[in-house]
Amino acid sequence: MKGVETGSPRAPGRLGGRGAVVDSLLKYYIQWLLVAALVVLAALNANFRQPRNLENILLQSSFAGIGAAGMTLLIVAGAFDLSVAGILGVCGVVMATLVAGANTLLGILAALVVGAGLGIVNGFVVTKLRIPAFIATLGMMNVYLGIGFIWTNGQVVSVAKPAQVTLGTGVVSAANPVLLTLGTGTLFGILPVPFLVMAVVYGLCYLFLRRTHYGRFLRAVGSSELAARAVGIPVARVRIVAFVMVAVCTAIAAVLLTGELSSANAIMATGYELNVIAIVVVGGTSLQGGQGTLLGSFTGALFFAVISNALNIFGVGAYWQYVVSGVLLISAIAVQAVRSFVFTVE
Amino acid sequence: MKPIDRSDPVGRRRRTATSLRVLQFSESIGVTVLLILVVIAASVTARGFFTYTNITNTVIIASITAVTGFGMTFAIAMGGFDLSVGSVQSMAAITAAALLSGTNVPLAIAGALIVGLAIGLTNGLIISKLRVSPFVATFGMMSIIRGAALLVTRGQSVLITNQPAFAALNNGKMLWIPVPFIIVLVVFAVLYGVLRHTPFGRHVCALGGNRKAAIASGLRIDRITIAVFGMVGLTAGVSGVMLSSQLLIVDGTLGTGFELQTIAISVLGGTSLAGGSGNLVGTLIASLLIATISSALNILKVAAFYQYLYLGLLLVLALYLDTLRRDILAASILNTGNGA
Repeated sequence: MKGVETGSPRAPGRLGGRGAVVDSLLKYYIQWLLVAALVVLAALNANFRQPRNLENILLQSSFAGIGAAGMTLLIVAGAFDLSVAGILGVCGVVMATLVAGANTLLGILAALVVGAGLGIVNGFVVTKLRIPAFIATLGMMNVYLGIGFIWTNGQVVSVAKPAQVTLGTGVVSAANPVLLTLGTGTLFGILPVPFLVMAVVYGLCYLFLRRTHYGRFLRAVGSSELAARAVGIPVARVRIVAFVMVAVCTAIAAVLLTGELSSANAIMATGYELNVIAIVVVGGTSLQGGQGTLLGSFTGALFFAVISNALNIFGVGAYWQYVVSGVLLISAIAVQAVRSFVFTVE
Repeated sequence: MKPIDRSDPVGRRRRTATSLRVLQFSESIGVTVLLILVVIAASVTARGFFTYTNITNTVIIASITAVTGFGMTFAIAMGGFDLSVGSVQSMAAITAAALLSGTNVPLAIAGALIVGLAIGLTNGLIISKLRVSPFVATFGMMSIIRGAALLVTRGQSVLITNQPAFAALNNGKMLWIPVPFIIVLVVFAVLYGVLRHTPFGRHVCALGGNRKAAIASGLRIDRITIAVFGMVGLTAGVSGVMLSSQLLIVDGTLGTGFELQTIAISVLGGTSLAGGSGNLVGTLIASLLIATISSALNILKVAAFYQYLYLGLLLVLALYLDTLRRDILAASILNTGNGA
């Protein structure tokens, strides 16, 4: 970091022992940041160290973290999706309606299918109507919010059948045992189910990105669309696949979040797009496209959960989270930009 | 490709310029025709639409959007955009309301405008000096200012009471014309002059049209960027003042989705997202169009939810038309500007 800030023309990698440390700090800066935050907070606050709190952090990291896995793939392919909050709302209310009216499995399947469908719509609008991704998905965000509101008439939809609505910790399992396990269950009493799902999603995305030819196509399209087109990669189809990946990941998050809350509404995920993109960017994925790090996004999700948990523990209001997310997003990009500028000058 | 074109490069260029001007003119015509059709349809179907009160209200709503739309048009002409305008509008409205209780009307207005300008200049500095893309910088700023607005109000509403002079900014009339619309016309006149008749306006378009050429020809792009984003912030501040004088009760959640509306009216009005030109007349007419549709839907008692749907679809449609227009433009330049 020091070499970067002073604008030193030396490459950090060529300095022997000290260079290796700097190199590792640069390459794994988000991992080091997470470790540092954990150590400092654990030392400062006894409540933070409680297993119960750590479990809570893992749970909180998973909802935005799962969306960030898909978003990493899409940003690698050179696009964004600002409509994820709308997709999450629509998937959530569709699922809640079906779970309450029909059965649980059907509800979950429907959420995933609807998610994939909305991903195809986004991909179509961006690639076939050739509208820049950020503004097209900003428009689609409104469309999905509208659909979510119209579907629910602006109400909250409970996943419980009307006769089963019972609140309070004692009898809440009567609401829907399967969904409740998905949303709030734990393995060995410390690993929340959503976190396990997140780990699996990241594993699958990693395999997709690194081990399939579509993964290579994603990177090729993201780094140079012209070159990708020239070598015969179906650019539009690859982008659409990337939009579907984001939307399906978001749908998975919708299933888990609806399970945790036992209900859903159209605006259940306001600000989700900011959280997700901030996680990906702070994790170290470049907005230029072509390359990305799923490990970084995974760590980024944990990092944001730790920060927001710390803000809660120290009694700083929820409104600060907007400020912190925004500042982290801008500074991460500024550091990237300055770093790449320094390296280019070399 | 007629053979006569080859021997007459000046005439050819003149014809290209003329056809571009015709194209730009026809863009305003298109949205104007749409506006007239919507007004006629609304007058026929929605009882109570074509009344003085309702038309005044519609014009006031359009004015509040249009002012920031003008700033956004500059940003888009420069090849950028600003996602933070909604938060800035809210922050400016809160500032005006808070200052009104302790000071007087001119100070409250000045305070709100300074807040808007300062946030806009900060955006410009982050974009030009830290080399952060407009998307990330203003996206992050949107979140920061939203948080700040909620923090300073502690999530509560701020009331404006007993301020007839301030309220007159909204409900006052000059010769039957509502004051907000007069504000819009003044801002429009100033910005139109800046865009069309000053070096600065040409530089903004040059920067949006071809960034590398603009840098190579020695334009101070950092200054231009900072000035344009400062201007967007200032116009968002003006609309914040107008909004607070309309509502007389403000909070930190105002202005959600405002960025979408202002980008939509700019693009709908004929300013291409590709950058390089701005159509302020189109922005003004498109703001009236969107406000008219909203007003008609309200009178027809269509649930507010549907307005999200229609605004989103309208934006996508406008953007698709923009794509088609760029195709036509590219084709016409290929045909007439060959070798020029």
